[in-house]
Amino acid sequence: MRGGGLAGVVQTTTADSETLAPDDAEALRRKVGEARFFDLPADSGGPSAGPDRFAYAVTVEDGERAHTVRRGEADLPEGVRALVAWVSSVPGRREDVAPPGG
Amino acid sequence: MTPAPIIVAPFCSIAPPDLLAAVAERGDDDDRQAALRALAASAALRAQRTAVARLLRQLGADHEAALGVKSRSKGRRTVYDAGHGGESDLPGKKVRGEGDPPVKDVAVNEAYDGAGLTYRFYKDVYGRDSIDGHGMELISSVHYGTDFDNAFWNGSQMVYGDGSGRIFVRGGLTKDVDVIAHELTHGVTQMTAALEYSKQPGALNESFSDVFGSLVKQRHLKQTAEEADWLIGAGILGTALRGQALRSLKAPGTANDLDRQAGSMSGYADLPDDNDPKNDNGGVHINSGIPNRAFYLAATAIGGRAWEAAGRIWYVTLTERLEPGSDFRAAADATIGAAGDLFGAASPEHQAVSAAWKDVGVL
Repeated sequence: MRGGGLAGVVQTTTADSETLAPDDAEALRRKVGEARFFDLPADSGGPSAGPDRFAYAVTVEDGERAHTVRRGEADLPEGVRALVAWVSSVPGRREDVAPPGG
Repeated sequence: MTPAPIIVAPFCSIAPPDLLAAVAERGDDDDRQAALRALAASAALRAQRTAVARLLRQLGADHEAALGVKSRSKGRRTVYDAGHGGESDLPGKKVRGEGDPPVKDVAVNEAYDGAGLTYRFYKDVYGRDSIDGHGMELISSVHYGTDFDNAFWNGSQMVYGDGSGRIFVRGGLTKDVDVIAHELTHGVTQMTAALEYSKQPGALNESFSDVFGSLVKQRHLKQTAEEADWLIGAGILGTALRGQALRSLKAPGTANDLDRQAGSMSGYADLPDDNDPKNDNGGVHINSGIPNRAFYLAATAIGGRAWEAAGRIWYVTLTERLEPGSDFRAAADATIGAAGDLFGAASPEHQAVSAAWKDVGVL
């Protein structure tokens, strides 16, 4: 999920390994592993990213495990940045755009 | 005090701002400059701009020197191509400097022209020499990221994505001078009131950017308050947003199908500032509609060119009378006070500003 930016809208992109092509599902697992996603702290503890910057909440669900990492665009760990970029372009992803505030 | 060596290389500036500030205060000239550069790098990289801008002001630091840009450049423009790179690749490859003829790349020319219109606006109308008031060079980088649906001021320069077609049309982010002026005004705010980007101060931060964004366009088009469209981002929306623009100062909440901006306190969205992207730093892009509409109401009640009277009142308020934690009530009181000081206590301007804040329910 990405919020903020000049537009201020909330864009949610979802990739489900159950419905992705087998190679893509494997790549998704690899990206999550490379990011050491489940070891990352939920929040950076830092201040928000600044005017009109993007803010991200990245959630990975894997069986019983679920973890969410929230960061400003400038504070995204490299592995998570790569994961976000990959999910944002993988065929079969779902995208939704909503106003802020839910 | 001997400064820690880490401050010599700004990109390794993991020192906290208060330590750097101590160095800036107590170190010799070289140490001080290094610490100021590190503070500025920290501002961009760690996004602690509110705190950093305040420190820089407290230290009486020269923003240009601190930010590593040319001093007394009289708003000289330089445009770079980020080559689809990220934050660490900024500014990129220089493609057009001040006075250079247009290049083939439309985004470069639009960024150059938009920076020029915004510079001339602040200089000619309010006598402000560039973002910092001291002729700071205007640096822009275009082609940031891949399909990047945003444009932003990163604390020391402008950054433009190409748009993906989803939120913004491809090439749209440099098309509207109001968007360019909106982002550059975040720089002016950073170096003046330094409004915190959270809840009401954050909504004011957004609103001042929308107000001066619209005014730069209105002056460019030679429009009166009545003639202006009062839109931000007209004609650049991608397929995910249906409507005419991102926002409307005249009619908040009506610019597109996902526009939930409030036009008065009855629609105020009391969202937490909790790092959750959907809460928008405490509703800064939603609640900015309230001061936006207050400005529109004041400007149209006064009539004529909105940048002259209403704009000056808002400019004096932003640059002289607000502080990082100022809320809507403080902004209302400050604009009413500024209107009285500039135009007289019984003036139509004073009455129009007071009535506008009452109309939107802040007073």
